[in-house]
Amino acid sequence: MLNRSPAILAAFVAGALSLTAMTAVAQDKVITHPQGETTISGVPAKVLVQDWAAFDNLNALGVAVAGVPSSNGPSYLADAVPADALPLGSLFEPDFEGIAAAEADVYFVAARSASAYETSKDLVPTIDLSVNNGAIIEGVKANITKLGEVFDLQDKAAELNAALDAKVDEVKAAAAGKGDALVLVTNAGNLGVYGPDSRVSWVYNEVGIASALADVKDGDHGGDAVSFEFLLEVNPDWVFVVDRDAGTGENTGAAAALLDNELFNQTTAAQQGHIVYLDPQAAYITMHGYQGVMLLLDQVLAGLNG
Amino acid sequence: MRWLGLAIVVTIVLAIISLFVGVSDVSLGALLSSSPEDRPMQVLLISRIPRTLAIILSGASMAIAGLVMQMVVRNRFVEPSTAGTTESASLGFLVITLLAPGWPLMGKMLVSALFALAGTALFLRILRSVPLRDVLLVPLVGIMLGGIIGAVTAFIAYRYGLMASLLAWSMGDFSGILRGRYELLWIGLACCILAYIAADRFTVAGMGKDFTTNLGLNYQRVMVLGLIIVSLVSAVVLVSVGSIPFLGLIVPNLVSLMVGDNMRRTVPWVALGGAGFVLACDIIGRIVRYPYEIPISVVVGVIGSMIFLFLLLRTRRYAA
Repeated sequence: MLNRSPAILAAFVAGALSLTAMTAVAQDKVITHPQGETTISGVPAKVLVQDWAAFDNLNALGVAVAGVPSSNGPSYLADAVPADALPLGSLFEPDFEGIAAAEADVYFVAARSASAYETSKDLVPTIDLSVNNGAIIEGVKANITKLGEVFDLQDKAAELNAALDAKVDEVKAAAAGKGDALVLVTNAGNLGVYGPDSRVSWVYNEVGIASALADVKDGDHGGDAVSFEFLLEVNPDWVFVVDRDAGTGENTGAAAALLDNELFNQTTAAQQGHIVYLDPQAAYITMHGYQGVMLLLDQVLAGLNG
Repeated sequence: MRWLGLAIVVTIVLAIISLFVGVSDVSLGALLSSSPEDRPMQVLLISRIPRTLAIILSGASMAIAGLVMQMVVRNRFVEPSTAGTTESASLGFLVITLLAPGWPLMGKMLVSALFALAGTALFLRILRSVPLRDVLLVPLVGIMLGGIIGAVTAFIAYRYGLMASLLAWSMGDFSGILRGRYELLWIGLACCILAYIAADRFTVAGMGKDFTTNLGLNYQRVMVLGLIIVSLVSAVVLVSVGSIPFLGLIVPNLVSLMVGDNMRRTVPWVALGGAGFVLACDIIGRIVRYPYEIPISVVVGVIGSMIFLFLLLRTRRYAA
């Protein structure tokens, strides 16, 4: 009982909050999201999430969660996941029976699980928190605001968003005049380039670090396959690396070993030590989570100032 | 012999094109006017020559592995990726990556080769208890076995969050090849030479166990030699480049249509054909989405499956 107390306490608090909300004004809230409108009555007490970014956002707001995806939990969130959380199936395939049986008040899907909405909306009030990769920071802020509304935590949400804006401004200032950059993704010995539509697009779009490449029509996962020769020719001033092997569980350090070669070592970024390894799970798995984005921004900032 | 000379010339021309296709400016003029420390020469030495060599070595050795396999199994539609060999090599590489991630590539490759050997032996064992030796049943059994081994591999990879890496290994791709990252493929060349030396034995073994024994050859030993060649080549290519589908199937079959089944005569053709085919496919992969690349396994898969269908339909017509 005692060791699980934070989660239980949070659940009690949430429950109590919802009770007071119901007794005071049992108001229905209509939440609009990418797949339509969902009506939530009062403040939800039992919360399920199918997406780690959604979990990240709820955790940032201090909302207790009763059900989480059963796999790929990013390590930076490991301590935040309650030990007794209900496993809801993989990021792509929700366990609908378990979700129906849980009788939750609200269920969040996003990105990989967005297609579950059609089925789950008949089982439990479902909200889609998908974010457009073209404007990730904006999307994260919008989600935080939306969740603040759902859980009556508007003040906390505003506070978080202000902190995010401040961080973005700080990185922007640090990046000014530092040259252009390329986000690389490494995957079992192969190289890809992430561009302005990718899952780390904020580096280019919202933080304002110029892309060393005019146009990258990147594939969603491995980026655009390129050779080392290509990197040598593009010759970015900075390189941000997403080690996808590490992002999905393998040992870290694979990317550093891959990049340490005769061609890459001739690029400006390598010669000036301008290589920043991003938290692969925040960049690759959660992508649109508040704490994940903050973590990545901090890493970019530390790299730029380092 | 005259035709073989022409094939050699075509392959050399393709190799030269391969040397001069890429993102950096490596033209003959740039090379001649630059010193050895300048970029064109550096790119040529560090990237282009290793890549072209890797293509030639893996193309030739995969095609030879297919040829040897077809002789050993006595079926035209068998090659390492339709007999569970590639999948077994992949499983071996995954297992050793999980157990001993720090091992040198050579050690990992050997473990991978041992798995490939075991998987291929299992395939032959299953074949022995299949009564009907229909031409298409044999590769079907192999594809099913490969499917089972692939499922086990995928399960382990999924459990350890290595699905993405597994996909990347099994996707043949030359874009990461640099000096120092392809040298294992020379083992493939050694296997090709071995296959050429033992060519007559494989030709005889291809006629059946009784026939081979009657001629005073140790059938078992020839089989084992064949399996070792196939397993080593599959493991080396998988570890350095990834898998290249259909190659071991198309090239030997096309060669057999043209020059017959005497392996002493077909080995050089198959080696050249494999190298030339992969060279052409890789050049296409580098040009279509320039300056990005399309992995070799995609290009070979598209072109190869069309040729495979052609071969299948053709055989059907002749058999009917």
